[in-house]
Amino acid sequence: MTELSWEPKIVAFLCHWCSYAGADLAGVSRMQYPPNIRVIRVPCSGAINPLYIFKALREGADGVLVSGCHPGDCHYISGNYYARRKFYILKELMVWAGIEADRIHFSWVSASEGQKFSEVVTEVVNAVKQLGPSRKLVKEFSTNV
Amino acid sequence: MFESILIDTAKKLLRDKTVDLIIGYGSTHYPFRTEPIVINKEDQADALIWNPFCGNNLARYLKYYKNTQHKIALMVKGCDSRAVQVLLKEDQINRDRLYLIGLSCPGLVNREKLQKQFPQASPEDFQWKETGWFFHGEQIDPELLLEETCLRCRYPNPLEYDQLIGEPRTTSPYQTYQKDYLDPIDDLSPEERWDRWSKEMTKCIRCYACRNSCPLCYCQECFAESTQPQWVSPAPTPSDNFLFHLVRTMHMAGRCVECGACERACPVSIPIAQLPLKVETIIREQFQFEAGTDQESAAPLLTYRENDPGDFVK
Repeated sequence: MTELSWEPKIVAFLCHWCSYAGADLAGVSRMQYPPNIRVIRVPCSGAINPLYIFKALREGADGVLVSGCHPGDCHYISGNYYARRKFYILKELMVWAGIEADRIHFSWVSASEGQKFSEVVTEVVNAVKQLGPSRKLVKEFSTNV
Repeated sequence: MFESILIDTAKKLLRDKTVDLIIGYGSTHYPFRTEPIVINKEDQADALIWNPFCGNNLARYLKYYKNTQHKIALMVKGCDSRAVQVLLKEDQINRDRLYLIGLSCPGLVNREKLQKQFPQASPEDFQWKETGWFFHGEQIDPELLLEETCLRCRYPNPLEYDQLIGEPRTTSPYQTYQKDYLDPIDDLSPEERWDRWSKEMTKCIRCYACRNSCPLCYCQECFAESTQPQWVSPAPTPSDNFLFHLVRTMHMAGRCVECGACERACPVSIPIAQLPLKVETIIREQFQFEAGTDQESAAPLLTYRENDPGDFVK
């Protein structure tokens, strides 16, 4: 595979109540954004185990996007506040371990923010394209393919 | 002299049936090494020792007694007592069943440093007194000998104990040496840190000694051993090794008591304590919490503030 034809694969964990609906709105509104994301719907951003993010990178994802409701708007009242602390620590740890900061992205996208969703995805895809294919944490067998 | 107080204490505890068993340190035939021992008879108490090679965190063994009725006496250094505090906070053991024999700790001696400084020396050449270490009667600078995790120790005295062996220490190694194990690594660039960690992770043989020596890794089934789903491949490849260590570090966030038992247990000398130590530093600075020193406020990942750092979120 040449660098020119390479397109990043990005795993997007979207919360059921806000960001998934935001992605849906972007879709029904026919907004354009790069088709590099693979969406996984989760009940709440607070339900995302850091393990999922590491696992996605290990299985060959070039980037991870995590998106949930805006602070204060969580369907479960406070799930995203807990998530924010967890992800803050996770991100600091990953950067300290030497993994590129732009491999993981976090955003708050509400159900009415279809426009923001398409902007966030475009931004994330561009940032990951800048980094190139993920090599760190990827399981060895897939690196030479 | 500390040991005689310790042994007398142990004998009395067992004689009076204050406790059913004592978890402590015993000697081995390897130089500069100790082993954890469990005793339940008065005449076994003479085997107990206390010296700066007592590196295991004995709070690790409390999980075996979670569902028993035993009354347990435990030898605890400052860091070990913090681990006990976390276990109490997490409802893993009942305080009424514990008798804590506190140890005022001067810091543990790193065997590799010792052998580097004094390559030909044998244990008989050293004397450990209240004032420090002596080599053939000459005092040694403790900074040259101490474990890196001990050089940054803030709690040389147990936070809670039923009896203290030795005088309480007035200064911590951190106050004395102003050193932090992580400073040299913080100064590296992310790429240099990656090179460093990927080398370390290539060494890892995933024996799980770090996890198994940890007093706070008490899950009955670890994610690393789960097969459905299988999060980590059992084959010790560098990426799976790193995945295991990063996730374990996240599980320790806000709970690690910085004892360094994981690092001392590592058979391939990976400075593995640095990962949880880094997270504890972040938590201390951002969320003003220190595991095992605060029984009142909620653990940092079980609570939140509305003004938590959020600039990293788009």
